[in-house]
Amino acid sequence: MPQSLFEKVWNAHVVEALPGDNALVFVDRVVAHEITTPQGALEIERRYDDRLFDPKRIVAINDHVSPAKDTETAIQAKVLRDWAKRHGIVLYDMGQNGICHVVAPERGYVEPGMTLACGDSHTCTLGAFGAFALGVGSTAQGGAMLAGCLVLQRPKVMRVNVTGRLGGGATAKDLALHVIATLGFKGGTGYVLEYAGEAIAALSMDERMTLCNMAIEAGATTGMCPPDETTFSYLRGREQQPTGDAFERKVDAWRALVADRDATYDAEIAIDVSALRPLVSWGTNPGESVPIDGTVPNDASEGSLAYMGLRPGVALRSLEIDQAFIGSCTNSRLSDLRAAADVLRGRTVSVPTIVTPGSQAVKRAAEREGLHDVFQDAGALWTHSSCGPCLGMSMGVLAPGARCVSSTNRNFPGRMGAGGRVHLASPAVVAASAVLGRLGSPDELDAAAAPAVTA
Amino acid sequence: MIVEGAVLPIDRANVDTDQIIPAHYLTGIETTGLGKHLFIGMTGGAELLAAHPHASIVVSRENFGCGSSREHAAWSLADRGFRAVVAPSFARIFFENAYNNGIAPVIVPAEEIDALLRSATLRIDLEREELVRDDGASVAFTLDPLRKQFLLSGGYMAFLASKIDAVRAWEAAR
Repeated sequence: MPQSLFEKVWNAHVVEALPGDNALVFVDRVVAHEITTPQGALEIERRYDDRLFDPKRIVAINDHVSPAKDTETAIQAKVLRDWAKRHGIVLYDMGQNGICHVVAPERGYVEPGMTLACGDSHTCTLGAFGAFALGVGSTAQGGAMLAGCLVLQRPKVMRVNVTGRLGGGATAKDLALHVIATLGFKGGTGYVLEYAGEAIAALSMDERMTLCNMAIEAGATTGMCPPDETTFSYLRGREQQPTGDAFERKVDAWRALVADRDATYDAEIAIDVSALRPLVSWGTNPGESVPIDGTVPNDASEGSLAYMGLRPGVALRSLEIDQAFIGSCTNSRLSDLRAAADVLRGRTVSVPTIVTPGSQAVKRAAEREGLHDVFQDAGALWTHSSCGPCLGMSMGVLAPGARCVSSTNRNFPGRMGAGGRVHLASPAVVAASAVLGRLGSPDELDAAAAPAVTA
Repeated sequence: MIVEGAVLPIDRANVDTDQIIPAHYLTGIETTGLGKHLFIGMTGGAELLAAHPHASIVVSRENFGCGSSREHAAWSLADRGFRAVVAPSFARIFFENAYNNGIAPVIVPAEEIDALLRSATLRIDLEREELVRDDGASVAFTLDPLRKQFLLSGGYMAFLASKIDAVRAWEAAR
């Protein structure tokens, strides 16, 4: 029976079929962060003798508010720290940490064919490796830590076949926004999005992570990309991966993790990216996006228009912004920072701009290339790594009514601060907008004044 | 088990978890005491709650609970006394979290929602899988047969704990 990539991974992890369309699914890896882990860990401590199924399968990362901003968040970090120490769980803490969806893969904790759970909806990012990686609640994460498994309803599978080559300034972020706009904000609910096609094969791991990161924004359980040479070469030499023959033997096994030719799907969609251009969101969910040279749609919902202070027909490029943010689990990896730096080099931002690398390792790599100088020469704030302004939980909170162009994944009402208005875009578009002081794209800068750049 | 009470009518789609409880309030380590932050992130949320102070059942539209995995959304509803959310569709993670916290996520056809929003009270029979409006009309629904047991007996973690030996045996034979 031919199988999809998802089916191969799922079938290899079903411990037991359960009533309904449910199954007990083995979890190879749990990623634990300080906001959603303590509740499940405390439950296990109080009611189950503090026993964990296998501490070696867990990796802990202080990521959302690190360093702590107040007593409460200091306690969250301390609970995670003490718990990790007590169980011998590896912890990435201040100095070596960052966003868990950036740190876990860059350290080599995520690999093809694996099942992975974390109390964070953007865990779908890690499907880029051909893993079945999904966000769960704290209770479910606690269950996975206690019993090594999850109760899951078997998702349906949608093949998203992507052809053509990205060009014209379009990036993986624009593809992600296009997929959501195509499916609708909830069009992926109940499905795993299994990406396929030449355009996916051409993406780097950073780009695949950006794409899979936003699967949840279409409501999907997760996204998955077929592992290939790009995946294997990313993983070769990573901290948690073996070296030499031991690694190559793993690669041989991973090569089987591709969809069979005659695999059937519950749904299929086709996308040609050749004509794709940079997108920007205008509304209050990521599905409400249009090309950067477009206008607010005539059929826009009243609620979104009111919250965003817009009316139909307004050109996106006419919207002045108050802040720009480059970062988040969507777009904070080295290639994202390079893309933003390429736009900002020799230019000056005209609104407050925050650049937050996804991990301390990314930060150091960026600094070795001098990107921190590019950002700071342009007048932007270069911070330590964290989830940062993305969810309005620590630094960079927006004032009510303030408009921010952001390389993040959610433009929900209040996401970056009560009353704050978020426009989602790629790092290059965010950087260009920061220079222009309004929503705009890099090609407008080229048309304006050529910057003084020495080769 | 019967859930009976006043309705909190939220006549909008895509009530996301940032509206249910903004990230600003996720700084605790316990699952209790979060009700005071419920719907603070929703335009008109506080006023709506004030107008329906004894509500224990939410009625809303498509894609309720979308966004973040934060179980705080379910904890804040439970802390405020909510026992059910009725909507045409739910986001997956909220749907799972609701079942694990004694909140029934009740899926009904979209065309039923207008009348349910107008019903001041609802009576929801979880075992018989039927809800009754204040005008006496009833609507059938289906609960997940396994998670229904978690709901009635509060036992997601207990269920998983009972599986540990089986999981270890499976892992050893892998």
